[in-house]
Amino acid sequence: MRFLGFLLRRVVGIAAVMIGVSVITFAISHLIPADPVAAALGDHATESQIAQFRAEYRLDRPLPEQYVIYVTGILHGDLGKSIRTRRSVAQDLADSFPATLELSFAALAIAILVGIPAGVWSAVFRGRLPDHVVRVASLVGGSIPVFWLGLILIGLGYYQLGWFPGGGRLDLFVAPPPSRTGLYVIDSVLSGDLEALRSSLAHLVLPALTLGYFSTAVIARMTRSSMLEVLGQDYIRTARAKGLHERLVVSRHGLRNALIPTVTIIGLTFGSLLSGAVLTETIFSWPGLGRYATASAVSLDFPAVLGVTLLAAVVYPVANLAVDIAYYWLDPRTQHG
Amino acid sequence: MNVRRFSILITLVLLAAACGPGGTTGATGTPQPSGGAAASTLVWYADTSDLISLDPAVAYEFTGVLLAHNAYETLVKFEGADLSTVKPALAQSWDIKDSGSTWDVTFKLRSGAKFASGNPITADDVVYSFQRVLKLNKSPAFLFTDIAQIKDTSIKATDPSTVVISLPKTASPQGFLAVLTFTIGSVVDSKEVKAKESGGDSGSTYLLDHSLGSGAYVIDHWTKNSEVLLKANSQYGGSPKPALSGVLVKHVPESTNQQFALEKGDADIARNLGAQQIAALQGKQGVVTTTGNSLQLVYVGMNVTVKPLDNVNVREALRTAIDYDGIVKDLFKGGAKKVQDIVPAGLAGYNESTPFQADVNKAKSLLQQAGQTAITLELLVPTGPAPGGVAWADLAAKLQSDWKNIGVTVNIKQTTQADLLGTYRAQKGQLVMILWGPDFPDPDANVGPFTDYAAKSIAFRNGWDDKTIAAKGRDAALITDTAKRAAAYKDITDYVLHNGPYAVLYQPTEPFGLRSNVKGFAWSPMDWTDFAAISK
Repeated sequence: MRFLGFLLRRVVGIAAVMIGVSVITFAISHLIPADPVAAALGDHATESQIAQFRAEYRLDRPLPEQYVIYVTGILHGDLGKSIRTRRSVAQDLADSFPATLELSFAALAIAILVGIPAGVWSAVFRGRLPDHVVRVASLVGGSIPVFWLGLILIGLGYYQLGWFPGGGRLDLFVAPPPSRTGLYVIDSVLSGDLEALRSSLAHLVLPALTLGYFSTAVIARMTRSSMLEVLGQDYIRTARAKGLHERLVVSRHGLRNALIPTVTIIGLTFGSLLSGAVLTETIFSWPGLGRYATASAVSLDFPAVLGVTLLAAVVYPVANLAVDIAYYWLDPRTQHG
Repeated sequence: MNVRRFSILITLVLLAAACGPGGTTGATGTPQPSGGAAASTLVWYADTSDLISLDPAVAYEFTGVLLAHNAYETLVKFEGADLSTVKPALAQSWDIKDSGSTWDVTFKLRSGAKFASGNPITADDVVYSFQRVLKLNKSPAFLFTDIAQIKDTSIKATDPSTVVISLPKTASPQGFLAVLTFTIGSVVDSKEVKAKESGGDSGSTYLLDHSLGSGAYVIDHWTKNSEVLLKANSQYGGSPKPALSGVLVKHVPESTNQQFALEKGDADIARNLGAQQIAALQGKQGVVTTTGNSLQLVYVGMNVTVKPLDNVNVREALRTAIDYDGIVKDLFKGGAKKVQDIVPAGLAGYNESTPFQADVNKAKSLLQQAGQTAITLELLVPTGPAPGGVAWADLAAKLQSDWKNIGVTVNIKQTTQADLLGTYRAQKGQLVMILWGPDFPDPDANVGPFTDYAAKSIAFRNGWDDKTIAAKGRDAALITDTAKRAAAYKDITDYVLHNGPYAVLYQPTEPFGLRSNVKGFAWSPMDWTDFAAISK
């Protein structure tokens, strides 16, 4: 019950965030001195076309009325019609978001699977070679530009060595698996399509490495410092004094406690992965949300920008919620608090 | 809880989140070809982020027009790079008659022509298609309403294979034929389109990502942000017949990636290579580079409502100071041609005269004559690469340094093209660097906008209201005698060269990278290619 109450509070919180975000982005989109009509209709728009366009997108109505129409639409699951693609924004998001989600999950998986062990290793061998290696690698990861890293990885992994494909989500003539989640890896597992599974996994490697390197570095550093702190605690000394094997001391007594701050970082990282995917998506021709957002912003496609913003406004709190749930299981104290 | 349980939990959370959205991706996901498809499919890598609609009445972006051109036929067409002679397409013949108050243009349709659906192509389809353009009234519709000045009632089918279109005497019949070669003149399968109509949309929702035409190819599917597949149309009655069974247009925004894919053999043709990638491809095995002509012009507009740009000597000084050769040779390295008049090479009326080239002393003395010593101006520049593959910002920096030589300080302000056009259209720019491409392949498509203030296009944006030259431009458009028309345009372009508010910088060429086994590729200055002619 306690858990349900906690969940309910968070869901109400997410709703409040969304209302706030929708008001702010709507206001900003109408305050900036740029004309979406000019952007959409191009060089040769006639008066009648402009009038037709303004009526179609209800830009001729008073601003408060536009907002009411917009919010009413959202409550009915209608995010409006994109000015650029002329399709429903909800449809556009449903097309592009799963691609970004899949890429972000893959990047996060790399970050967790590499970052946490690297951090632990670094802490256990503090001041020795493994520690130096991890620290240098994470310093580089924290400062390398994504665009550059992406081109290097493509140049090496695709162009020079030919081990991985150069872009896109699937090989040229491989059909996407029947869509259930929009995540090709999961969909191809669900449909038992081994060819699509192989192809989609191969296509994930380079972009996920590119996108995930920064997060790996952050997670490794966080794990290292909290591990160091935990390993200096009295109960670790007690555990060692009991004659417990060092591996058990580190994994059972050390890591579990050290993971709590790391989980927070993972939650934050996931949000930044989603928003940071823009450059990675461009380099790897990844048909995701980042590119959709950029293209929409550049062509002053406000309905689309609002849709992306709202989606982001949902994703961040949901990621935080996932972190809190992880805490809940990880740290028994929060279950009674 | 131990680490293993924790990682299982994380996986479960991720999976749960993953199941949230979706279920709709690949709504257009018709299965792609498999097996031997690669050998008989042309793989075209391009940045297709401009793609909005494949509907020929709506498409007015490069990618949309390229695809619609290959999926539909028009009544008349230009063949290859020759934009001076109109050739038959769906119409086997046509005739222009002066009926006193109007020009009556009569088209006789090719007999036996069929749509991809198998339906015969009739005069009613042509009437429906053209009236549909007027009804939808989208971006390219001005070509019908403003250039050809036609109305619903101007288009008539007199028998199943004859269409008569009446133009007012103020419209140019030659210009109209040129308009009809563009995708807006595509003939759609009216029977099928009507069946796809919903809510009075004239089928535009369906045609956004499908095709119902008679072109060499049909649209098989368009997966948004990813690819468009075209398949050969077995009913196609034009020529040449499609050599390859399919064309796969892959959306690859990054030029370096296009270059890599071409070298690896994944791409057959790469569309958006910059000067850097073209240089890197030189001498590489299995790859050739080529260029296509374009009808675009890159120019700087000088707003004459802003002092001292109202002074013709100041404008001439700015033109004179620019190092055009440096731009073409050093900056673009072959991606551009030196053109200084307002009609591009390739169109009738092109003026070969290039009187300006970095003459600092002359420019300074022109400024002295104008009584100007210290000038500071703002130069508005778009973001991203300019046509020809060099960043707009680099081109702007070159101009800034050229003008500094004559004591003119220019502050560069970079904005998105959409923002820039907003300012420019409102006559609020000072110096604005931008490109122009004619809307139909006729000199009037440049001379009109560049000279006629009342047309509210380029002359208006620069506040240049010269009624004499505007009238000369309007008259030249209606001249039917080719030699007389050429002479009239020579007169106009010579005048604008020294008196207009423009510094035309260059005419870009389009670089392409091809696998060396690709044959038959030819780029039309209309910004498209006939996929049917390409084999590999």
